[in-house]
Amino acid sequence: MMLLEHDAKMLLAERGINVPRGVLARSPADLPAGFAPPVMVKAQVPVGGRGKAGGVAKAIDATALAQAVTRMAGTTIKGHRVRECLIEEVVTGHECFVGLALDEASGDVDVLMSASGGVDVEAAPRHMLSARADFDRAACAGAALGLAVRAPEPMRAAFAEIAPPLAEAFFSLEATLLEINPLFVRPDGSWIAGDAKLCIDDNALARQPGLAALIRSRADAYPEAAGKLESGFDFAVLDPDGDVGLVTTGAGLTMQLVDELTARGCRPFNFCDIRTGEFRGDPARLIRVFEAMAAAPSIRTILINFFAGITNLGEVARLIAAAQQAVPRLSVPITARLIGNGYDDAVSVLAAMPMPLAVEPDLERALDRAIAAIWRDLA
Amino acid sequence: MNDVFPQASSSDELLLDPGMRVLVQGINGRAGRTHARLMRRYGTQIVAGVSRSGGSVDGIPVYATCAEAVAATGAVASVAMVSPLAVAAAVEEAVAAGIKLVVTVAEGMPVADAVRTLKRVRAAGVRWIGASTPGIAIPGRLKLGFLPDVALAPGDLGVMSKSGTLSYEVCYRLVSRGLGQSLWVGVGGDPVKGTRFRDLLPVFAADRNTAAVVVIGEIGGSEEEELATAIVGSGFRKPVYALVAGRTAREGLTMGHAGALVHGATGTFESKRAALTAAGVRVFARIQDLVDAVVSAPGSSNGGTSCS
Repeated sequence: MMLLEHDAKMLLAERGINVPRGVLARSPADLPAGFAPPVMVKAQVPVGGRGKAGGVAKAIDATALAQAVTRMAGTTIKGHRVRECLIEEVVTGHECFVGLALDEASGDVDVLMSASGGVDVEAAPRHMLSARADFDRAACAGAALGLAVRAPEPMRAAFAEIAPPLAEAFFSLEATLLEINPLFVRPDGSWIAGDAKLCIDDNALARQPGLAALIRSRADAYPEAAGKLESGFDFAVLDPDGDVGLVTTGAGLTMQLVDELTARGCRPFNFCDIRTGEFRGDPARLIRVFEAMAAAPSIRTILINFFAGITNLGEVARLIAAAQQAVPRLSVPITARLIGNGYDDAVSVLAAMPMPLAVEPDLERALDRAIAAIWRDLA
Repeated sequence: MNDVFPQASSSDELLLDPGMRVLVQGINGRAGRTHARLMRRYGTQIVAGVSRSGGSVDGIPVYATCAEAVAATGAVASVAMVSPLAVAAAVEEAVAAGIKLVVTVAEGMPVADAVRTLKRVRAAGVRWIGASTPGIAIPGRLKLGFLPDVALAPGDLGVMSKSGTLSYEVCYRLVSRGLGQSLWVGVGGDPVKGTRFRDLLPVFAADRNTAAVVVIGEIGGSEEEELATAIVGSGFRKPVYALVAGRTAREGLTMGHAGALVHGATGTFESKRAALTAAGVRVFARIQDLVDAVVSAPGSSNGGTSCS
């Protein structure tokens, strides 16, 4: 997962990388005294290209600052709603680029440095110095130092100084990508990180207590990751105004269902990988998902899709029934597509519910049913 | 049996033999116990379990270490049913014991562990499938992992997939139309893994039982693009059909699998579709369209007739 710029910079600062002074703000009222313009205002969303999308502005006075925060808050950049802005002191210098990126195929690390960074760095690859290093802190720091000596001064001094903390941050945070672009380098060789892109390994959170604590404390900024830490499964709201809720198992199949529903004119509310194999007789996961859907008035129908290899469907059906009873305000029609052992048992359990579920063994027909339910509701 | 696994780093070959002796690491856990029994019922020769507990599970002798299990039973393959943070140590133990094929099913192995494990298996000439794989099967003969029986049937399709459930759905529909698999390999949804799509191309090229290949990919990473390059570079001639999930995924949002994440133009559906299409692969957006195309292909063992 990609961390927001503010959080990435905080983690990097703790590891010896210079960053501008900054604070998070949701509205002009949040701005602390003593933070006087001129400042940079930067929308906090986990995607690149914010500047070109209107998510970065320089505010020269208090009025402009308030306007910029008001303008950005609540907008959507590449599908991500702007919940907060980073207000930063203005820093300047020659724009450079430094980065470490894990190469998935080889398991090596690409070390990248360029004396010409900025928003168009990818358009000028000829200026990029690069080396491939072993997946090892010392090897990456060494490779970065090797590149630094090929850069002109004052970049040479700056790159040499940032190389060790950059490698240290990459490995200690179990990052898969760490880019500083722009890295501002001043004539005297001093430097400061203008922006930071830090992708961490979600799978390492179990042994990265500091990162897990950060995500828990910023659950509103990282709802998917924080939710997974709490519940143990994947759930992401894709479209807050979506019309079909998905209670599904399997990441790949759910992604595919989202694609196919979208292609057929539906608006999937969520992504979900609930993992039926981990229910262990407890309806808690189903209740959690049903509650999220009951709180979304735009949802007109729910599609359950469980392709169970081992899990007995009769047991799953009893958990669905228990969850439905626990969330009585969830009143939209539910279609359950079930495949696996105990199908007949599941059908009879679900047919006996106060609000019977439609059970369907064929996924195409289940999709048809769910879509028909949306249209019936709209009619 | 002609299914072979050429090593990425050497010319050694590993026979994936339906009669091979297999041990299960973590056999005393809930999953280990269940799947050891199910794999054996499928026909896999589960000869040993490994767990500190010792004793036996359903009549399968359990040893404290892989080395003891290998010495006592001659096991050459391992299925590791251990928790995500224990996968790296389990593979290390299997490699040190002389195991030649390791399948690790746990979802959630840290990337740093996967990188170190990858280096270790490459140096040792061991084939690693996973992490985060539902397993591998030669239908009707051998199953390592937990691919569901309802989606498995002997046939002539080679299957490679990043996703468990999506491959179950695709193969279940193909089987219901009379088309089974020669060999099915789940590579898992992690970014760094033991066996990537492109590593399987020589296997399916050499396997006389494979007439066509079904690729089940998804957004994120570069595996589909690497596969496309390998298809062109190796002159792979068998028909290839691909499904790529995640066309509508948002940049910056991880979709369940650790590897399923789009950054800028990297890892997008369009990038994968363009690369695969240019390599002659037929790429589909709907499951049913892929199934229909495979069923109606001229060389299909179904003779081009539909029996839905």
